[in-house]
Amino acid sequence: MILNIYTIIMLFIAVVSLSLGGFLLSATLKTILSFGTSVSSELKTKYEQKGYLIFLLACIVIFIRMLAWPWFYFMLQSFVIEIPGAMCIFGVTQILPVTVTFLQIIKPISFFFMGGWIFCYYVDKAHPTTPLTRKILLFLLPLCGLLFIDSGADIYYILFMKPLISVSCCATFFDVPLRPSAMIPQAVFGKNFDTPLFILYYSINIILIILLFLKLSEKGKLLMPLSDKIFLYIQSGIGLIAIPVTILSFIEIIAPKLMQLPFHHCLYCFIGNGMVPDAPLILGLFIIGLFSIGWMNILCLICKNSKTPQVTEIFVARINSLSAFCLLASLIMVTIHLVLT
Amino acid sequence: MTKKFWIGLVIFFIIATLGVFYQKYVKPPRCDYDGSPVPPIYEVEIVLKDSATKKFCSIYCAVQWFKNNKHNVDHVIVTDEIRGNKIDSYMAHFVESELITNETNDNRIHAFQQRESAQIHMDKFNGSIVDDPFEPDE
Repeated sequence: MILNIYTIIMLFIAVVSLSLGGFLLSATLKTILSFGTSVSSELKTKYEQKGYLIFLLACIVIFIRMLAWPWFYFMLQSFVIEIPGAMCIFGVTQILPVTVTFLQIIKPISFFFMGGWIFCYYVDKAHPTTPLTRKILLFLLPLCGLLFIDSGADIYYILFMKPLISVSCCATFFDVPLRPSAMIPQAVFGKNFDTPLFILYYSINIILIILLFLKLSEKGKLLMPLSDKIFLYIQSGIGLIAIPVTILSFIEIIAPKLMQLPFHHCLYCFIGNGMVPDAPLILGLFIIGLFSIGWMNILCLICKNSKTPQVTEIFVARINSLSAFCLLASLIMVTIHLVLT
Repeated sequence: MTKKFWIGLVIFFIIATLGVFYQKYVKPPRCDYDGSPVPPIYEVEIVLKDSATKKFCSIYCAVQWFKNNKHNVDHVIVTDEIRGNKIDSYMAHFVESELITNETNDNRIHAFQQRESAQIHMDKFNGSIVDDPFEPDE
């Protein structure tokens, strides 16, 4: 176990989430099971009071868990100096590789669904009759499951982390000619894949931003007379394509250029070594931008057939605006770096 | 679009510009041999016995300076071309290859922290391992 301020805070977050999550799960289950089809006004007041406590607790736990994702990378970065041979987070990921990979997958998934839940909760709260309460409580159950798995894995990783194991440098994985990030675009675009991949990165992101802007404006709706549902499906489809394209573009083209290390393709170095001080912001904005499209889908799914179409529309428009903002800001930042560096 | 939206974009525009400014002007110094900008990836630092440091844009410039000032030098720090790490020259692997790092002085010597990186570079650019050019005379 490596003990420093980052691991102590991470352990604290995990223990607090586990204990509060346990209470939250039992309270949610009790409330759902006692929910009847018709409720008297006396009982309704009781539910409202109890529901208020559950939602307050849920908001706190979810907020803490969402913060645990970026904090996890701060913690990994703090381990670099403790591990012989490690020069960036990649080296740290060589110890307990299965657990780290699992954590790196579960954390964005948790972040995504928890963010979706928060938006649903605010839609419900914005409506005077709170018609989504039951659905939101049901949505809390799988979230509690995610919370337990995520927090448990955090505790396991911190407790069983062995600092004195020698590991290899990221260059032996990311900079070899047969690296997966080069082989995939090479299979699609041929040996000189840099330019087509770069063009694809810009095209997809620009199309996505235009679609998000079109949905925001009245003129845009006239230009593309599609139902909101189809519009959202198109945005989601392009968003899904944007994920691998952006990841590959960053690894193969953007990160080496921005770091001014043309032969080095490590994303961990890009975000962690301080050569590009605003790199975490660039990637963070892109992630929030893409997740926002998913959050709109969650909101539409939860609020389907509910009595909140106007409130939902307002929130979807706000998230749409957030997505457009984050994706545009990320693209602008990348462009400024590429042009001025 | 609200005012907040555009103000937010301007803020991120400024952050990115400051990031580039930091990369370009706060970090890299000038070469103490030929005065050219020092690319971070090829930076060589010569630490003198009085703890002062001299920075160079390439191994060529550093070697030229080193030849005339050997008696003042304490140790030399080179940059790993792959990851940009600073390493003591006696720990580095030097490769002379067909790849030129600096068109002005035709520098073909490259420094690597890992032997694997040196091997990959040798295979790719038809190079061969060379001795540490900063070795003090016995």
